[in-house]
Amino acid sequence: MNTTEQSVQIVSVSHSAEGVSETRTARHLNWIQFILFAVILMVPFDKSNASNGEELNCLICHKHRGLSRIDEQGKFRLFYINQELFESGPHRRNNCKDCHNDIDRIPHKPAKKVDCTQQCHIIEPSGKRKFSHKFIAETLAKSVHGKLDKDGKPKPHQEDFPVCKDCHDQPFYRPIAIYKGEAEHGISQRSITRCKACHKTGNFAKDFYEHVTTRLHKTRFSKEIVNVCAKCHGDSEFRKRHELDDVIKSYKETFHGKLVFLGSERTADCIDCHVVEGENNHLIEAKTVPTSAIHEANLGNTCRASDCHKKASPQLAGFQTHVTYDRKKYPLQFYMLIFFKALMAIILYFFLTMIFLELLRRLFPDFSFMKDNAPHHIVKPEADKDKP
Amino acid sequence: MVDLFKKIVFKLYVIGLMCFTVWYGFFMFPLIFGFEGKEEARASLEAMRGGDTEEEQMYTRLLTEQTKKKTTDLGYKKIQQPYIDGRFHHIGFNIQKDEFSTCVRCHGNVPHDESKEIRSFLNMHTFYLACETCHSQPAKGDKQWKFSWYDKTTGQKVSNPQALLDIEKSYTSDDEKWQYPIFGNYGAKITPTMTKNNEQRLLHGKKEMDFVVRYLNDQKNLESAQKSQMKKVIHRKVSKQPVECKTCHKRGKTKYIPFETLGYPPMRIDELTDLAVVGMIQKYKKFYLPNFLNPGGVNK
Repeated sequence: MNTTEQSVQIVSVSHSAEGVSETRTARHLNWIQFILFAVILMVPFDKSNASNGEELNCLICHKHRGLSRIDEQGKFRLFYINQELFESGPHRRNNCKDCHNDIDRIPHKPAKKVDCTQQCHIIEPSGKRKFSHKFIAETLAKSVHGKLDKDGKPKPHQEDFPVCKDCHDQPFYRPIAIYKGEAEHGISQRSITRCKACHKTGNFAKDFYEHVTTRLHKTRFSKEIVNVCAKCHGDSEFRKRHELDDVIKSYKETFHGKLVFLGSERTADCIDCHVVEGENNHLIEAKTVPTSAIHEANLGNTCRASDCHKKASPQLAGFQTHVTYDRKKYPLQFYMLIFFKALMAIILYFFLTMIFLELLRRLFPDFSFMKDNAPHHIVKPEADKDKP
Repeated sequence: MVDLFKKIVFKLYVIGLMCFTVWYGFFMFPLIFGFEGKEEARASLEAMRGGDTEEEQMYTRLLTEQTKKKTTDLGYKKIQQPYIDGRFHHIGFNIQKDEFSTCVRCHGNVPHDESKEIRSFLNMHTFYLACETCHSQPAKGDKQWKFSWYDKTTGQKVSNPQALLDIEKSYTSDDEKWQYPIFGNYGAKITPTMTKNNEQRLLHGKKEMDFVVRYLNDQKNLESAQKSQMKKVIHRKVSKQPVECKTCHKRGKTKYIPFETLGYPPMRIDELTDLAVVGMIQKYKKFYLPNFLNPGGVNK
């Protein structure tokens, strides 16, 4: 949308918004104006006319990086929208108002929190219905991260259970190019040109290409996924409240963890092991649940998932992945650790001491603590042995 | 002589090896005994620094958050940006700090708080307008000020920033490079200047900054009354009434800030002075509650 169009739109919306605010000070208006505004307000707003772009031209203000304030609780509130980054993900097809639907005029009052489960104007192509994340929220509610237990009662520490924004910020597309040879990150111009040969209108080809190829691999870098989980599971107070092990630390000590933090994308991260292959990523279940990916009976299958250890025997999963050295919870692991640490320390420092003393002797070959002249301490040269 | 030299080299070599052995012992210690307790130690250290009250904890959090960054790896590019806890939309970049504002030094970059309706808008302007641009006005009878840009890192007067001039290309060019112009982050701020002894100088220049710095350093040695005196002196150029929005955001050539001279591209000037912005400002004015709803009070 060009600037002129945006300006025209904002003016038209401003006028209707003005009608609402002006009614508060209606004493300043004459009756003709009042009736005119009343008529305008009675005309239903035709949503089908809303464009895909900025129907309220929100960016006229929100494009400024400094649009911010400190709220009453002392929290810094930033209202800036980075258009370039916003348009780098699937939400670029949405209007601001699709999520911030309580805003119906500019200037507007403080916006309400966004409900991710509400329907937006995008039609989901498979079901031909308005798109919503409601299904995801329902799946999350069934998972170990759901706020209710199996009896429908609220779990303790409700504030600790995640909502969408705790794990997700605005998503990005991570397209890949597969034209010849191996897949690479980014858009294959050769591929997308073939799409554009038929799908010429708007950004359809680009949207489709980026959406589909992003879904062909992980939408987030493995390290980022671990960091997302660490927001809660890395917090010692949180772990204490829920009696959880420090799985982030133990993961980082594993081969998987080391590789992920060295930059690997092919190594298992939290989601790979904690979600059953083919299941929704939001359905992470406790290991006591029989359908869980990490239930004892399913561990083998989890390791054998496609793209992982396909030919692995069940024994591969026979070790404790997240080894936690808690004396009360896992005494065997704790004392084993103590034993091996002690063993290693004794061996290493014994030999280091030996080496140090040996070097000391090289430095002072004739040094001795025994300075006395006792006859048995004096070593006689061989030639003198026979002398009286 | 050679033997002595060899002996010295050998001794040094042995001493070197001994040092290495000792260092290796220290180096291996944490590797063997692990880093258990490191997190707890850090947490307790933070708690010690942070204190018990909500305010103290918030301060500690602010200190840690200001350096927080987030990296998103898209494979073909990495996006590193400031991190604000709980924020959904991406920020992308940090605004360059203003090292030479006497006001920002104490009041910060987000100082406007009073007027609910426009505080965010006013704060937005602090990134490219010096405070004195709106909060100081020439005395009656004095010459009108000239406006200029000053560099945020050097405090020196600079020519019109390139980042601002480039915005025009976002309106006129089809090149993707100019598709997403950055508004407000010009590395410089507009400030009033005045002519003194045939020299054009910033209203708040180095001299004023030095004065404020000196006061901040010495204030603990001052009596309470002296502090009040100093504050009065520092703020004496501040007008009672700030410059109103409509003084700049209006059509015509008699704007308080001469956008053209300061390098604002024509399309951007149109945007700043067209109905979208001007109309909105009008509306914000009308958002104030009428007096009859405010018994005994007067609208701001």
